[in-house]
Amino acid sequence: MSATCEFQAKDYKSSLKPIWCPGCGDFSVVQGIYRALAAIGRPPHEIAFVSGIGCSSRIPGYTTAYGFNSVHGRSLPIAQGIKLANPDLLVLAAGGDGDGFSIGGGHIAHLIRRNMDITYIVMDNQIYGLTKGQLSPTSQKGRVTCTSRFGSLEEPVNPLLYVLAYGAGFVAQASPTDLVGMAATIEEAIRYPGFAFVNIQSPCVTYGEEAQQIKGLKAISENLAAMGHNPADRLAAMDLAQQYGQKMHLGVFYRNPEPAPTYDGLVRERQAALSKNAPPKEQILDLFIKK
Amino acid sequence: MATRGIDFQTLSLMDALDLAILIEDEAQERYEDFAAQMDQHRTPAAARFFRLMAFNESKHGEELSARRAELFGEAPRAVTREMIYDIEAPDFDEVRAFMTPRQAMEAALASEVKAHSFFLAAIPVLKDAGVKALFEELRDEEVYHRELVTEELAKLPPDSAVSDEDFVDEPAPQ
Repeated sequence: MSATCEFQAKDYKSSLKPIWCPGCGDFSVVQGIYRALAAIGRPPHEIAFVSGIGCSSRIPGYTTAYGFNSVHGRSLPIAQGIKLANPDLLVLAAGGDGDGFSIGGGHIAHLIRRNMDITYIVMDNQIYGLTKGQLSPTSQKGRVTCTSRFGSLEEPVNPLLYVLAYGAGFVAQASPTDLVGMAATIEEAIRYPGFAFVNIQSPCVTYGEEAQQIKGLKAISENLAAMGHNPADRLAAMDLAQQYGQKMHLGVFYRNPEPAPTYDGLVRERQAALSKNAPPKEQILDLFIKK
Repeated sequence: MATRGIDFQTLSLMDALDLAILIEDEAQERYEDFAAQMDQHRTPAAARFFRLMAFNESKHGEELSARRAELFGEAPRAVTREMIYDIEAPDFDEVRAFMTPRQAMEAALASEVKAHSFFLAAIPVLKDAGVKALFEELRDEEVYHRELVTEELAKLPPDSAVSDEDFVDEPAPQ
């Protein structure tokens, strides 16, 4: 691994032009990621950025990191494989709320319990935008879409409570209403030694409702640090997370003050321990060859 | 609009000039991005206007860079783009596909107003007389730019009574 050196946000911006709808919240999110990566200072070739499928999952292509726009809902297992194969890489995963909490929902629990050193950024817009506006797992009850003509009958998934309940060591929320805060939150998530989750309320300008646009979000925003929230208090974080959908709390909900060892770190240790008594590489084949 | 890690009380003239150049850079880049988005979404009139704005921002940036070079030569820059957020650059959510030239100009006008507010708010905190004079000059330029855009807006014919929202379909069953 090379030593960190000075990088600027523009060093992480690729020459590919985003094809999101003009005004999409994801334009701000990618800027926040550029700035957070610049603050971290790792060169782009030491970063792997994995996504699933959806509008927001196009994001790795707009960075100069190694990117993998993978399979719907499968960004996390692929990111985990990359981290285990090359633990020196800084691994980011990203996607939308549908990708993360519907088809990919089952994977989150396992990365959390293993405490994989991966930062997972979800761009939560409460809709399937790429496929033209169907209900997503975080759509509010009563929401009218093309798949819910008379209003959704389902309660939404609460992404914050979901990851907190599974024991995530770092849980935060950000929004394009506060660019400085968003970049700082992503940076803090990357620096956390273990699985870090950042839910970003990123408005869909095409299929999103008026209240979910920037002005609407500003009206319900509250900064957790300014409220005096103690991010080491997991129960207080869970209490605040229950207000998802009514209030938009920005900042760090929970940061485990004593992070558990990461799975990738433990695997490394195990490999080192077992390799002490392992035969030399040249003799491995001999074990399988009858003499 | 926000800043991070800038101490306006101790800001030197060189840092202030660099900051002003970075503010113009950020705005230029945003207008270029907007123009590309408008091209992609078949909104050519707005794209042309955003390109013109990008050109104006770059021209202003070059003038400031020349002043900086004359006064401070190649002295290394102590401020970075990461310290400023959307000072003169229009907000990301100011644009929409199929926006009219009037809407594009209104977005530019809002960003000039925003930049004016930034300089206005910073001036009382500044200690260095040279920095203060520079910020006052930049503040006044924003007023001038605002007037220019307002004049151009007045020349435009009114937008059609049909808005792009009229073309949005109600969700249809699938």
